[in-house]
Amino acid sequence: MGGNLFSNLITIGIISISMLIFSTFTLLAFNLANFFNIWEDKIEIIAYLKRGIPSNEVGPLLEKTHLLEGVEVVRYFSPYDAMAFMETKLGGQKDLLEGIQPVILPASFEIQLKKDYRNSTKIKEVVTHLKKIPQFEEIQYGQEWVETFSVLVHILRLTQWILGGLLLIAIIFITSNTLQLTIISRREEIEVMHWVGASPAFIRVPFYVEGLIQGLLGSGLAIGFLFLLHRGLFFYIPPSMQTWLARIPVLFLPPETIAWILLGGMVLGFFGSFVASMRVLKYK
Amino acid sequence: MHHVFKTYPSQISALSDITLEIFPGEFTFIAGSSGCGKSILLRILFCADKPTSGEVIVHGIHITQIGFKKIYQLRKTIGIVSPDFKLLRDRTVRENVAFALEVTGHDQKESKRKALEILGRVGLEKREEDSILALSAGEQQRVAIARALVNSPPLILADEPTGNLDAQTTFDVMEIFRDLHLRGTTIVLATQDTGLTRRYPHRVIHLLDGRKVDSPTV
Repeated sequence: MGGNLFSNLITIGIISISMLIFSTFTLLAFNLANFFNIWEDKIEIIAYLKRGIPSNEVGPLLEKTHLLEGVEVVRYFSPYDAMAFMETKLGGQKDLLEGIQPVILPASFEIQLKKDYRNSTKIKEVVTHLKKIPQFEEIQYGQEWVETFSVLVHILRLTQWILGGLLLIAIIFITSNTLQLTIISRREEIEVMHWVGASPAFIRVPFYVEGLIQGLLGSGLAIGFLFLLHRGLFFYIPPSMQTWLARIPVLFLPPETIAWILLGGMVLGFFGSFVASMRVLKYK
Repeated sequence: MHHVFKTYPSQISALSDITLEIFPGEFTFIAGSSGCGKSILLRILFCADKPTSGEVIVHGIHITQIGFKKIYQLRKTIGIVSPDFKLLRDRTVRENVAFALEVTGHDQKESKRKALEILGRVGLEKREEDSILALSAGEQQRVAIARALVNSPPLILADEPTGNLDAQTTFDVMEIFRDLHLRGTTIVLATQDTGLTRRYPHRVIHLLDGRKVDSPTV
């Protein structure tokens, strides 16, 4: 019995480590995707006007831009507005702008998109239409960041699932081996059960339950440990970083994802025990 | 059994054209020297092995045609006694006997009661709380017999139940079988002890090299 307990603890520990690795990637991907969504939501398109556009053309251009599909609000920023904005941003260092004439700054339209257009695919559609308007010199929307983030989230998700697949095989293998050892250590008892007419379900079900419990405990420990790590992040990082981080929500896994991970652990544990019982518990 | 053959993959023939019939309430010895096929014959009757060909019917069931999911139901009607007892060393006498009831769906209280009753029949009621390891070989064999009986099976298959026992203990064990037989249980007992078959005048089926013979060649 002591030997079984030890091997069960080892199995739970290994399942826990495997699920922790998988859950960590899941958490990273989740937060990055979340951050990306928040950031994407705040994206604005800046359309810089060509120099020399008469002021009486600005109004109709504003109207035309506003009528484009996906555009919610359009604001005009004159060169003077641009200068004032820069002075505000520089604050105490606004003297750096001394001698710079506002006229050298381009006028621009700040375009806010409708909610369902605030994603990388739809943004590009709107930008394509804006580029067709000849009065615009340049269109900017942080495209490098959008693409980089999009790729990063995609890579993380891919890594998460490839790693998950490998860990899945490892968990099944480990659970199966532990349960084989358990079955072998109880072979006399199992043989007597066969002899006296115990049903196959009576003999196998306890091992399936054992596998389920191992999977549940393993994934539960992983989630618990990850939660402590997540909480610890805000206690042990420097205060200056905490201030910066506070603007970016670092969320823990949502309840449904936690439930899926726990369920996944149980299923893997069960499958491992099923494989073990098929290999070792042949009816005699 | 009708024309039963059992051949192993190595082409060794364990049983060759065995045809026999055992009637309810009979006491039948399966006699023969070591390796003649006695144990494999009992294993086939118990569905622990399948014949290579032939028909085997136990309690009206064609056991060569039933799936493993049905075997356990048949085994509840058969009590098996093995030469190495197959007792659980980490349990007491009573727990070993009650185990056979617990794993076949009986509740603990009922299992305990029946186990005590059966232990009384084999003369071990006073040893119910003893560990199996504290018992002699003969006593352990009696516990194995009690476990085989506890589900009240109509058929007992005993493979060399007296093989490891001294003369007095052999007598005690055979008295238990005799008593069971008188109560109507069908007994099939495999033995290489020719003295046993002479002392207890029951039907004897002789096996020699996997074949049924009329009488053993000395």
